[in-house]
Amino acid sequence: MSVQFFLQQCLIGLTNGALIALVALGYTMVYGIIGLINFAHGDLIMLGACLALSLVAALGLAAAGPATTWLGIGLLIVLCGLFCGTLNVAVDRFVYKPLRNAPKLAPLVSAIGVSFIFMNVGLFWIGSADRSFPELLPSINLLPGNSLQFNWKDLLVVLVVAPLMVGLSLLVRVTRLGKAMRAVSQDPTAAALVGIDVDQVIAATFFIGGFLGGAASVIYGLYINTIGFQMGFQNGLYAFTAAVLGGIGSIPGAVFGGLVIGLVRALASAYVGERWTGAIVFAILIVILVFRPEGLLGRRTSEKV
Amino acid sequence: MPMLEVQELEAGYGPIQALNAVSLEVREGELIAIIGANGAGKTSLLMAISGIISARRGQVLFCGRSITGLKPHAIVRLGIGHSPEGRRIFPRLTVRENLELGGFTQRDAWQLKRDIAEVCELFPVLGTRMNQLGGTLSGGEQQMLAVARALVGRPTLLLLDEPSLGLAPLVVAKLFSVIAGLTARGIAVVLVEQNARAALKLAARGYVLEAGRITLSGSGQELASDNRVREAYLGEG
Repeated sequence: MSVQFFLQQCLIGLTNGALIALVALGYTMVYGIIGLINFAHGDLIMLGACLALSLVAALGLAAAGPATTWLGIGLLIVLCGLFCGTLNVAVDRFVYKPLRNAPKLAPLVSAIGVSFIFMNVGLFWIGSADRSFPELLPSINLLPGNSLQFNWKDLLVVLVVAPLMVGLSLLVRVTRLGKAMRAVSQDPTAAALVGIDVDQVIAATFFIGGFLGGAASVIYGLYINTIGFQMGFQNGLYAFTAAVLGGIGSIPGAVFGGLVIGLVRALASAYVGERWTGAIVFAILIVILVFRPEGLLGRRTSEKV
Repeated sequence: MPMLEVQELEAGYGPIQALNAVSLEVREGELIAIIGANGAGKTSLLMAISGIISARRGQVLFCGRSITGLKPHAIVRLGIGHSPEGRRIFPRLTVRENLELGGFTQRDAWQLKRDIAEVCELFPVLGTRMNQLGGTLSGGEQQMLAVARALVGRPTLLLLDEPSLGLAPLVVAKLFSVIAGLTARGIAVVLVEQNARAALKLAARGYVLEAGRITLSGSGQELASDNRVREAYLGEG
């Protein structure tokens, strides 16, 4: 159990965590804007991964040269992002929007229903067995020496996730749409009364959350190399946990929570054993929520009204 | 032609009928007051004009055009500002961001800056609080922010819901002096108030709303000297 081993696990954990964070953003953004826990988000990403797998085959990426491969990966991210974003908007439009003024339980149960529908579409699309996702990037260690492993696909995670997160935080902080999103999340009625088209802002939020999920689905395939129609449930659960841990509704919280969960998972699996990771992650979650119910970066609910 | 015409408007929430055949009109640059007890339907009336709750019957005309059934943001863009009951400023946005959102429909950044500066002249205290979060302001400052936010959008008609609620008399006086000055700027105002005395003093005309119906209307002076109004709303008689 050397220091190198520990550092290696941390590196794995942070890379995994970045991927979890990207998915967690989709949960936290939708929750922030309409207070809905979108249980279908994990399965939306599974469908994105199915599309990515089909596209890799259709474009013949497995046999392409390095330049074409990188270009192809970029194209996959854009296409799967658009696909998941659009699908997310459509689900909101036809399933959640009619229930906007219904009790909170109604859209929640509908989200679980959408999750099952998505899972069945995935089953129909790629079959019941796990499918291996082609290894598109060469496994060459990019770090000097042999002590730490950091391959092209690890770098890919960083190269995709970092700009998406910077872009998202700029969008929310400085753009007109971002300001409208923050206003709607704080008071939709007041937002409408200053001239914000609330429905449009909600749709945009679903699109962005879905787009990030679509990008995550491509990276998932390339990084984990196995996809299956049930992958959405477990991965969605970890990402949702990350969002809650960081403080649901908080964008930096989702990123932070994702990194923490990734780290905990990697360390637990290396030092305690793979089969204990789930128990350890959720035990930590429970302990943290007992002492900080609003999550690590969430805001406390007391406010002058 | 009146600027705003509400015709036989009915609206409500689920089985509850909040407004019953309400008709009223506001002429250009005119300040009218709507007074009535708690639960009489004053807030519902403003919410129905703004499209937040939908009309079941009747219609609302703005500048001769029907705005019934339009979405709230579309109604705001026609020039109807609304400072809602309970202020409803954005608590976790700064005062500046709150004001910028008030001018959400203004796409010209320079014009927006000028509009914000102009409102800050009306409420100088806001200018000194620009980078503070809205939720940390005092009640009176929050109310000023709520009115200022509605004004940044350059409305031609402003709906004001209970601006004096829970405020100290000095703050109320300050706020009412600004409201009184709005008509001079060509802004028509619908002022909903529990503080009937102050409202009727400012208003050219007023309406009394009781259980979702308009039961009385007239000039501000007429209403203020009406026996029923004095007894029920002015605490006299």
